[in-house]
Amino acid sequence: MAPRSIPLRPVPPDEFPIFHKHVCPPTFGGEAIDPVPPTRQIARNLLVNRDLELRDGTKVPMWLFEDPDDDTESGTTLPGKTVRTVEGDIVHARVGAKTNTHTIHWHGIEPTSMNDGVGKHSFEISGNFVYQFATNQAGTFLYHCHKNTGLHFEMGLYGAVIVDPKKPDIPEAHGVPDPPYPAGGPGFVRAFNPPSHVVRYDVEALWVPDDIDTRWHELGHNAFMQKCDPDNPIAAEDFTQDGFLNDFRPDVFGLSGEAKRVDDDSPFERAAVHAKVGQTVLIRFIDAAYNVNVIRVGLPLQLIAVDGYPRGVPPAGKYSRPINLPAGEPIRITAAMRGDALIRPTEPGRFPVAFDFFHWVTGKRLYTARTFIDVTAR
Amino acid sequence: MKRITRRGFIRYAALGVAVFVGGGVAGRYVAPLKMTTYGTRHRLAITEALAQMVDRRPVYHWAFEDLDSLEHLPQMPGPLIQAIEGDEVNFSVTNTLREAHGFRIPGVPGEVGAGIVIGPGETRTFEFAAPVGGSYMYLDHLNAPVNRVLGLHGPMIVLPKSGNTPYSEPTPTVQSLFDDLGTTDFFPGEPWRPERTRVWLFSSIDPRFNSMAERGESIDASRFREEFLPRYFTINGESGAYAAHNHHTVPSGRIGQPHLLRLMNAGMTADSPHIHGNHVYLVAWTDLAGNYRVEDNVRFVDTFTTDPGGRMDWLLPFRRPPDIPGDPNIPLRQLVRTELSLTLGGVGQSPLTYPMHGHNEISQSAAGGNYPQGMVTGWQITGDLDGVDFPPSNPKEQGGVNEETHGGH
Repeated sequence: MAPRSIPLRPVPPDEFPIFHKHVCPPTFGGEAIDPVPPTRQIARNLLVNRDLELRDGTKVPMWLFEDPDDDTESGTTLPGKTVRTVEGDIVHARVGAKTNTHTIHWHGIEPTSMNDGVGKHSFEISGNFVYQFATNQAGTFLYHCHKNTGLHFEMGLYGAVIVDPKKPDIPEAHGVPDPPYPAGGPGFVRAFNPPSHVVRYDVEALWVPDDIDTRWHELGHNAFMQKCDPDNPIAAEDFTQDGFLNDFRPDVFGLSGEAKRVDDDSPFERAAVHAKVGQTVLIRFIDAAYNVNVIRVGLPLQLIAVDGYPRGVPPAGKYSRPINLPAGEPIRITAAMRGDALIRPTEPGRFPVAFDFFHWVTGKRLYTARTFIDVTAR
Repeated sequence: MKRITRRGFIRYAALGVAVFVGGGVAGRYVAPLKMTTYGTRHRLAITEALAQMVDRRPVYHWAFEDLDSLEHLPQMPGPLIQAIEGDEVNFSVTNTLREAHGFRIPGVPGEVGAGIVIGPGETRTFEFAAPVGGSYMYLDHLNAPVNRVLGLHGPMIVLPKSGNTPYSEPTPTVQSLFDDLGTTDFFPGEPWRPERTRVWLFSSIDPRFNSMAERGESIDASRFREEFLPRYFTINGESGAYAAHNHHTVPSGRIGQPHLLRLMNAGMTADSPHIHGNHVYLVAWTDLAGNYRVEDNVRFVDTFTTDPGGRMDWLLPFRRPPDIPGDPNIPLRQLVRTELSLTLGGVGQSPLTYPMHGHNEISQSAAGGNYPQGMVTGWQITGDLDGVDFPPSNPKEQGGVNEETHGGH
């Protein structure tokens, strides 16, 4: 007997608009919808073409966000310039799509659908749009373009969103500027520490592992997209059949915006941490890689938060508690997971940090990115 | 045949979908998948099928068929099996294919947990007591992982005999989480109810290997692991828009109606499912040692890893999305009235919908591109905490046509 067919579910014509929008979102723009007066205003434009230069002189084309209010180098970086807000802020984010259409998804921040930056659930920006959201939870989040995301995220359209707690009125707060706290520290972070549930840190680091398949970086904005036919959005002939966005073979590996070829095992300098004995170091990590990542830190650490929410802090964190990890204990993460960790070095030395990249299908190790924590006497 | 007697069906003739609406003890069963089997006796066949992918290309599969279903069709994944802890579950599985196949439910004590081998043309009958409450996956364990990935897998849900959690042996923190639902300021609304459950069973398909099976060639498992290049990614057997707009996959409810999501990965890829709109509690999962267990230190996450063969239960609290600016005491139907009234691209912004997708974005592809026709679905909030649904959007279209996306390449 010949095998029987399991057909695709029939799509009634009144579902065609939603199937069509799934692939071809409409465009929209303008001021915030249902506006509330903002307490903080930021802006980002997409996108700027920049080459990432490797040690051997090879250039990898990247797409970056730019902050139109910052015309220095720090306005156009990889990862994108950090969006830094304060707990309780109402943010108006003016986003300009300068080439083609884009969105920004504020990953882990949870506003309405139109402010969530996913085209198929709302729209893609043509021109400008002002996203409106609150940042009610202090922690580490992420922003990225959510269009043809496999490609746009890979091309570098991602950055950190850091939401700071308000400065507590305690003696330890002397010498700490008002939030948003400066990149690199000092500042305060939400963590289990009753009754205030904030902890002062002296040094702050942002670790963002990434993996790059340079073949993908030659592709165009809409590479391998399905052709849109509003009258028949499921037509077989409109599907691209020649794409390779399912075939990810990274040959370059990155850490916090610095990148090396697979055969270059020199240490990553930009992610290196410099601290003194007795200081508190806050590590924020965001996984921008597609392969599985395992982080090993040569010092004991305390995992205080995952995906922006602090462990052990009620009400949301009531069902968890911080985890103390001995030196070298693996932390396994996959794409877009985040975490915050505290390290309190007790002796001087250079302590190794390794990021192992494991293939997303075979599980084989592809590369180890090495950096370090330098601790000097107080 | 012994069946649970109190049961009822609604049949949607157009879709061939059965939904269970029974009451009493049987009413604790849920029907999140397209097809489901009821009661405690299950007659399955291991057979072959040509499953249509999202781009309408047929791909050969090995598949389970529920011989008591009125559909008379193989299914991918296999039918949802539901039981209550301690139920005497009876299976009769017939292998209609040319080679031996297996049937195993990891986590079930006894021979079915170790794996049963069924020769070509053979029927094996076996019984077991439904294990402790939780999420399970039945699969063909032979030539692992080949036979599982080529289509021979399906979900099984076991509910506990008593209690207000999905587990027979909840940890103290999971117990307190479920106790708090609907009784604390952080979780206003209702407690979890077993029917507020969805299965999200992920798989990945490399048609080159399916073709080998179709031609009757043997597939070397180590070569399979080495060379597997997924071309299609599915949730409950569907990809892209199909999975994102299937109400058996998409949880739907008002604020304060928490749902349990039972994620299972029958495929070959490590992915990183990400949910928008709410964080979720990771209440049970297959840990790094390979044991599915109820968690004691319950993370509140928006993204977490699924490994091949792994299972993971998320509690989606259906909280009012916490970062909507404005007075939290004003119902959303008033606070974001303009948004809810809009129709963009022919689709209303009411109800509020949010995606869930693999953030290893490779899984958002189909046939090497065609974003987002891969492993994606979502959830929707239909109304406010006070039980009033959001008004429907104004049908008048707003927003421009995305000319630039049209034409693709």
